[in-house]
Amino acid sequence: MNQSAFARTTRTIAGWAVVGLFFFPIYFWTSVAFRNAKDIFNWPPIFFDFQPTVRNFEQVFGISLGFDFGNQEAVTPGGGNFYMAPRLWDSIVVASLSTVLAIAVATLASYALSRMAFRGRHQFVSWVLSTRMMPPVAVAIPMFFIFKQFNLLDTYTGVILVHALMNLPLAVLLLKSFFDDIPAEIDESALLDGASRWTIFRRIVLPMAKGGIAATAVLCFIFSWTEFLFVLTLTQTGLKTVPVVSSTFVTSIGTAWGNMAALGAAAIVPAFIVILLVQRHLVRGLTMGSLKQ
Amino acid sequence: MSVAQVKRIAISDSPWPWLLPLIALLIVFTVYPFFYNVWLSVHEFMPRTRSLKFVGVDNWVQLWNDARFWGSLGVTFAYFAVALVIELALGMAIALLLDAELPGFGALRAVLSMTLVIPPAIAGMMFLLLQDPQFGVVTYLLNWLGLLDKSTPILATSSTALAGVLLAEIWQWTPFMVLIFLAGLRSLPAEPFEAAMIDGASSFQMFRRLTLPMMSRVIAVAVLLRGIDLFRVFDYVFTMTSGGPGTTTYTLSYYAWQQTFSFLKWGYGATLSLTSLIIVMVLAEVFIRLAKVRW
Repeated sequence: MNQSAFARTTRTIAGWAVVGLFFFPIYFWTSVAFRNAKDIFNWPPIFFDFQPTVRNFEQVFGISLGFDFGNQEAVTPGGGNFYMAPRLWDSIVVASLSTVLAIAVATLASYALSRMAFRGRHQFVSWVLSTRMMPPVAVAIPMFFIFKQFNLLDTYTGVILVHALMNLPLAVLLLKSFFDDIPAEIDESALLDGASRWTIFRRIVLPMAKGGIAATAVLCFIFSWTEFLFVLTLTQTGLKTVPVVSSTFVTSIGTAWGNMAALGAAAIVPAFIVILLVQRHLVRGLTMGSLKQ
Repeated sequence: MSVAQVKRIAISDSPWPWLLPLIALLIVFTVYPFFYNVWLSVHEFMPRTRSLKFVGVDNWVQLWNDARFWGSLGVTFAYFAVALVIELALGMAIALLLDAELPGFGALRAVLSMTLVIPPAIAGMMFLLLQDPQFGVVTYLLNWLGLLDKSTPILATSSTALAGVLLAEIWQWTPFMVLIFLAGLRSLPAEPFEAAMIDGASSFQMFRRLTLPMMSRVIAVAVLLRGIDLFRVFDYVFTMTSGGPGTTTYTLSYYAWQQTFSFLKWGYGATLSLTSLIIVMVLAEVFIRLAKVRW
């Protein structure tokens, strides 16, 4: 297209401005993590010109970084009201194990749904999709009482199971779309050579779909990482993930914005890095395998 | 092929062993809770005896007569409609803007995907801070533009609270639309556009007559997936307003959760959550049929 230089410049600037607007809250939140209270509670709000500090991170992670941009107040390592390192660990455990479980169950099912013709296959896929539509609150309420009976409330097992379940529709449909990309002729000729389905699955299809499986795992991880309602409902004191614990920073003497932002920033950065790694499959993942890039 | 070979293929070709773990999990964690919910909805917790009592259809009658339920349904639909329309329109506009090979646009697309990995509860907190009446940036900008009186707290004023919550929603999920639409735009064939250009069509005509129709499936999928999530909004409401002020930001999910866990109305909470489930399922099913979305 023969756009004029002027049009191109305008469009470039407009694009940067719009995305800048979307980026601003992330910048601001991250900057709050590096602020002292006086620079947070200021009117007019301070955008750039504040005295940076790492205290918030030190308090949240119970560590001493040994420097603080010239701020002298020392932080006692390993304690305090805002010591949240164990909660970050809870998040990592829940997200990792629920991802492993969801992927294990979903790869098996997706392979069958992709490769084997059977009566009711279409209905089965629709059923899996329909479980994606259940409002979390309609699962969380009965699940609370069921978990209570089976002593699963407030346990890793319980939360991991629920998060795996929540991610199953996505994992199944997305993996099915990745398996569909691998020509079925490969399976068929291997079958005729006497290989079993299991061998084909393990030796041929899984290695070929590695990239797709990784992308699916990343998305499952992120959805577990960001989930709120189930953890809020199904845990009390035993474990809490980052999103839920963030809401407890609102205390009677005010909100600990700096600490909350530090925890939030620490939770967002790793998620953003992994999402960049699967950028290529992102849209396919967001649409549950329906749209290929 | 020998008989044994045929047999082996037939046996190893049964999908059920492959599907069994999935079916087991789905039955235990969706079918069973569903029926448990139905069972709960005809019972109610009696605080005095600390036990559940069968109450028949009382909860459903109460639902029908409950002004707060109808109010929360209204709030949910308003939230759903406003967010969906804005996210679609804004998402399409930004996608059209970014659909070009200009300096840094690749990086811009990556930056946009950042909002999607932020826990919605934390995004709620971000916007709670931005809209704080004493030192929030949004409050400051609106004051500066003269659109808002300094004494008006956005999230604690009936007329603006829902808009405040929607701001977080729209900020976080418009990029979802942008990324999907961008992928759709980039997969469009070039020939029809070249032909239209030769015929002297305006860019608006091309958008209406070519882009939109060719993007219909992409748009339908985006509407379905976002619509499902919009209808069950909970995180923003919980972290930003707790349903207030008054009942202006009570969504159905939040109302159901609160009845169950704050007011110990276990049966009524279950009834409300079932209602929300039924509405989402019916709407999604109708939409899937009308828009012919297929997986």
